[in-house]
Amino acid sequence: MSMHRRSLLKRTGAVAGAAAFGPAILGAPHLAAAQDETTIEVWDTFNADPRKAIVDDLGASFAAENEGVTVEHRGWTLEELQDTLPRVVDSDQGPDVAQVNNGESLMGPMVRAGQLVDITDYVEEYGWAEGLPDGLLARNMYSTDGTAFGSGQLWGVSVEAEIVGLFYNKDIVGEAGVELPTTLAGLEESFQALLDAGQTPLVFGNLDKWPAIHLFGDIHGTMATREFLDGIIYRTGEQSFEDQSIIDAAARLQDWVSAGYLLDGFDGIGADDAAALFEAGSGAMLLQGSWQAGTVGSNLGESSGFFLMPPVEEGGTVLHVGGVGIPHAITVNAEDPDLSAALIDKLVSEESFNAFVDAGLLPAGEIPADKIVADTVSGDLYTAWNTSLANDTLGHYLDWAAPGFYDVITGELQKLLGLQVTPEEFAANLQEFYAASFE
Amino acid sequence: MEDVTRPDVASGVHDVAQPVVQRSFLARAEPYLYLLPAVIVFTAFMAVPVAGTMAISLTDWDGIALSGLEFVGLDNYVDAFTSDEFWRALWHNIVLIPFFVLLPAVLGLLPAVLVHQLKLRGARFFQAGLFLPYIMPGVLIGVVWRWILNPVFGPVNSTLKRLGFESPPSWLGDFTWALPTVGLIGAWAAYGFCYVLFVAGIQKIPNDLYEAARLDGAGFWEELKVVTLPGLRREMAVVFSVNLILALRAFDVIRATTNGGPGDETQVLALYMINSAFNANRVGYGTAIAVVLAVLTLLLSVLVLRLFRDNDD
Repeated sequence: MSMHRRSLLKRTGAVAGAAAFGPAILGAPHLAAAQDETTIEVWDTFNADPRKAIVDDLGASFAAENEGVTVEHRGWTLEELQDTLPRVVDSDQGPDVAQVNNGESLMGPMVRAGQLVDITDYVEEYGWAEGLPDGLLARNMYSTDGTAFGSGQLWGVSVEAEIVGLFYNKDIVGEAGVELPTTLAGLEESFQALLDAGQTPLVFGNLDKWPAIHLFGDIHGTMATREFLDGIIYRTGEQSFEDQSIIDAAARLQDWVSAGYLLDGFDGIGADDAAALFEAGSGAMLLQGSWQAGTVGSNLGESSGFFLMPPVEEGGTVLHVGGVGIPHAITVNAEDPDLSAALIDKLVSEESFNAFVDAGLLPAGEIPADKIVADTVSGDLYTAWNTSLANDTLGHYLDWAAPGFYDVITGELQKLLGLQVTPEEFAANLQEFYAASFE
Repeated sequence: MEDVTRPDVASGVHDVAQPVVQRSFLARAEPYLYLLPAVIVFTAFMAVPVAGTMAISLTDWDGIALSGLEFVGLDNYVDAFTSDEFWRALWHNIVLIPFFVLLPAVLGLLPAVLVHQLKLRGARFFQAGLFLPYIMPGVLIGVVWRWILNPVFGPVNSTLKRLGFESPPSWLGDFTWALPTVGLIGAWAAYGFCYVLFVAGIQKIPNDLYEAARLDGAGFWEELKVVTLPGLRREMAVVFSVNLILALRAFDVIRATTNGGPGDETQVLALYMINSAFNANRVGYGTAIAVVLAVLTLLLSVLVLRLFRDNDD
């Protein structure tokens, strides 16, 4: 097992200071306890293939490597897992290892309730932080008392990563004579050219409410500073939603609506239906997360590509919506936390990393060059991801800002997109709820 | 000793006196014993959860760990009654009442009367078809209607466009149309139940009444007004109270179609309750809304039942 870790370190170590933890940590200090009959129960959201199969295989291989250990893997839907996990742990039952959603949606409350094991030492011992910029690690951090998000101790480690960008149909874009834009204004010119050519520039469906978080977040990412975005998400109390960047991004989004860049009837169509339209060859671009790459690639094949939201000025920085996948944590009911940590190490091993890449998924770490196939949608995605990782330009999901904020920001975004509120009212409504969440 | 006790047991005096005590105890306990299984089930699945819900509504429980729970008195109720969101959600429930109560009653009554008065052939086939929506799960109804109303490739807007409407609304995503649209979907889901009750009710109305009405020269509408509707009063009471409860606890169809949007145009109390409890981790507050909703439902159904009962007397 340590072999996997060592080779993973070798690969990712080039990105950030590997020297700090070095290969000296790579003995297998935690496996002594594995001699007795032990069952490690893992609850996560990997409830369908290819993810389910990957984790099942990793569990089986972990059990084979550690005598007397059985791994029981149970995949849930995110909603079910969210609702069940804290209640079960509170009853002194449940899994040893579980995916715990970032921020105030679950990790914060569970840390405050003393339901999770502080894994900071394991992270150092196993070198899980190697190759990941601080900006990504912060998302799995809370202070010991669970009051400060984004700093303090580590409570989980993410197997996967996510980044939102623009999938595009090369045939449609090519026919309209549109070049890939390098600025936000250039993107709008492309939209206009596509519109003039009788195409739907941006396929978008917001009946499910959440897609607007990504669209608005990515536009906002072109205008926001790291200080503002981290401050608002990590709740430093110094930032306000009535920031000029929020108002400007809201105005820009309303301009897009008025100009007709978004799919006609977007407010009445679901995210999956919108994606299906794009994948069926209807519409030039689709703003979606990396998780969509598999179905886009298999439906549009060589006609599909991916690029990230371009900056306001050429060469500028964009904080792209995205981040780490839901992290795996160790619950306080874990029979043997050391053994659970060893299993997590398996989940982020090179074996696991390669299995995720081979399935067209995006694991949390730099994708090696030999895995990147040029001129494919996954190749475009991996290249974009590596760039963003190296530059630490991963932004946030704005709904993380406060408990219950998801319902507020999705509702307000629907009003914004429906031209029911002004950008200033939109910002004020968000701020009203955000400010109240500190009381 | 044995010789003494034996005759005692066999003797008439004891034979009468002792079993009387036993029998009267058993006789008194017997009805309660029959009730016991129901009482146990009721206590376990109704009384305890209801009491638990009421207790939780007086706390600030976040749904994570019971250890951090604090008693906050009526704070959650005060919060709810002073929150705009609560009143907006309640208002949406009230707007839905005509759609969930009156419309299904009318939609159910018409085919019931037509089938009865016109003696339509193949009535059973229609009955099965008309009842179908009622037995479909709400989530499935939501999925089906999302497709029917899809503004890009759904049949409703395709038809409207062919009829010359250039830009029909996107229904479920439209700020004006979303609430009436989920109301219509709710009516579609509920009318089959009304229809079946009305068909059964009409068959119980004595034919003499119809004959007498016809002899007096009553037409279709007079018959409906004088014979059918009064004869269906009990069915009406059931339909109105059941559908009123449906309107107040409306959740599944809305969750599956708009999830409260656009904005909060279709957010109803049940959705607000779930979102508060599980998305915002305010289980105490969500539970308080649940209690308010339950009390409201109880009061309104009693009112409806009384309304119809008074007419009966």
